[in-house]
Amino acid sequence: MTTYLNKLWGGARLAALEQLTYRFNLFSDVAIQPLIVAAVELTLWLAFFQSTGRSELAGFSQDHYLAYAIWAAFVARISANWMYEWNMIDSVETGAVNAVLVRPISFYSFWLGQFLGYKLLTSSFSLAVPLLVCWAMKLPVQIERLPLALLLVVFYLIFVHTIAVIMASMAFFFNRVHHVTVAKNITLWMLGGEFFPLDILPENLREFMIALPFSSAVFRPVGYLTGRLTTEQLGEGFVSIAIGQVILGSLAFVLWRAGRRRYSGTGA
Amino acid sequence: MSDLETNSHHRAKSGVRPIDKSRLSIQAMGLGRDFVTYKKPEGLLNSIKGLWNRKYETKVALQPTHLELEQGQIIGLVGSNGAGKTTLLKLLSGLIHPTHGDARVLGHQPWKREAAFLRRISILLGQKNQLWWDLPPADSYDLLARIYELDRTQARKRVQELAEMLGCRDQLLTQLRRLSLGERMKMELIGALLHEPEVMFLDEPTIGLDIVAQNSIREFLATYVRDRRPTVILTSHYMDDISLLADRLLLISKGRIVYDGQVDDFMSRAETRQTLSLKILQPLSEDLQLTADHRIAAGSRSLSIEIPSQQIGPALQKLLAVSPIQDIKIEEVEFEDIIRDFLEGRHDHLSQ
Repeated sequence: MTTYLNKLWGGARLAALEQLTYRFNLFSDVAIQPLIVAAVELTLWLAFFQSTGRSELAGFSQDHYLAYAIWAAFVARISANWMYEWNMIDSVETGAVNAVLVRPISFYSFWLGQFLGYKLLTSSFSLAVPLLVCWAMKLPVQIERLPLALLLVVFYLIFVHTIAVIMASMAFFFNRVHHVTVAKNITLWMLGGEFFPLDILPENLREFMIALPFSSAVFRPVGYLTGRLTTEQLGEGFVSIAIGQVILGSLAFVLWRAGRRRYSGTGA
Repeated sequence: MSDLETNSHHRAKSGVRPIDKSRLSIQAMGLGRDFVTYKKPEGLLNSIKGLWNRKYETKVALQPTHLELEQGQIIGLVGSNGAGKTTLLKLLSGLIHPTHGDARVLGHQPWKREAAFLRRISILLGQKNQLWWDLPPADSYDLLARIYELDRTQARKRVQELAEMLGCRDQLLTQLRRLSLGERMKMELIGALLHEPEVMFLDEPTIGLDIVAQNSIREFLATYVRDRRPTVILTSHYMDDISLLADRLLLISKGRIVYDGQVDDFMSRAETRQTLSLKILQPLSEDLQLTADHRIAAGSRSLSIEIPSQQIGPALQKLLAVSPIQDIKIEEVEFEDIIRDFLEGRHDHLSQ
């Protein structure tokens, strides 16, 4: 176990070092991107409340929605893995995966370590953005809930990484997997609650979507942080992810093995 | 005759001592790989039809191959592009699964990718970077040390030793992307040797490098394999790589091993062919039979022919008797040409 964690840490360290190499890239990643997304979301919600003349929606005030928008932008940035997924698919398509296949580490662990390291580094910096904005605008946030909310996000990262391995495994069979990935990401953004809190959906759809593990990407942690959800509801997120991980983990295992059998060692 | 019998036949005839079965490091038993590809029809209409009516063709990348390599042997694997040498390398290193047959490398089935196996082998792909592009090699080595479960202090020491041998200590802290091709290859070599592999697969380690870098890497590998005696399978298009490093040569063509023998034996016979190029001062007044195979037409003033070395002297004497020579050049035949000649049957004596 120590050896395995040491390998993961090695990957995490390397990804962090890579991020620290180019200052502008890092600044863009941790400040510019979340700020722009947060600004867009704030504008949309302000426009909604101004144009409808309402002061609350589904029992929550305008400030609650603004707080949700700010934290959703931050948490969604953490839980998104499209860039790593893109690199993983690319490595299978180009044969760069060969460097992993000939070493005593699994493809899953090799990329997971780097993915977590990258997220740890960039999130540590970008956390300042929602904290400062919420403090400046006096928005309602239960800051003592932050550690547990972030723990769920970390748990979700492992789940979303499993999805990335499934996508990368598909690259053994098809050569345009990137196209599927774009459609999949848009679906995940909606299922995750990045665009709007899932509890404003019609009842049947709401229950179904919240029950899915994808709601732990944004809705559950941000809903918990902004007072929309209870600790028990947050806990359900862990269970939902665990079930999803078993199902998708099995699928990833089967697809990877099948893909490896037909792999032609591209590029070597 | 089966491939195994054919190989044994070549081995016996080309002066290679019999294999010591107790020291086997690599064994291939009927190992082969086919690739199935969609045979795309020409034209728009046929391409549309191809959406539901597809034709596939099977290409044999490597025919069932039998191979036995002893520990510490250095094998030069040569052949033209698409001959199947990289496929054999990929199979033995576990990168791909075979379509048929079986193999054992250090007692393991390679494509199972057992950690105990992967910790004992290494593969270097001359045309691929395996280290991190944006980081200095020293950082990549730290991760490799963790992946191979090495003592990190020992690993750092080993990096320094290898860098010293390769003369690239100063570049260890420079981003890989800022290094020259030759320097990058040295860094890749350090990464490949960090865990002291018992079996090394070297695929074109000097490809694209300038003469100085080629020599530097060649000399390093020669010293390394002489001192550490790993089992090595080396593919290269350069004769110097093979002749300096390998002690056994496998020639592969159309997915099949067609020659298995000593490098010196292969080279000493093949090197007897030379390219003779010359210009004479006066055009020939009549046809001249220079050798049994070469005739120069009347009126000619220059020629370029490939002939056995021992025929050069008599040929020049004949020519000097009819005209003074203005310019002359004698060159060794390219390694690629020797292989091509062999495959076309011009060096049949090599396998007899």
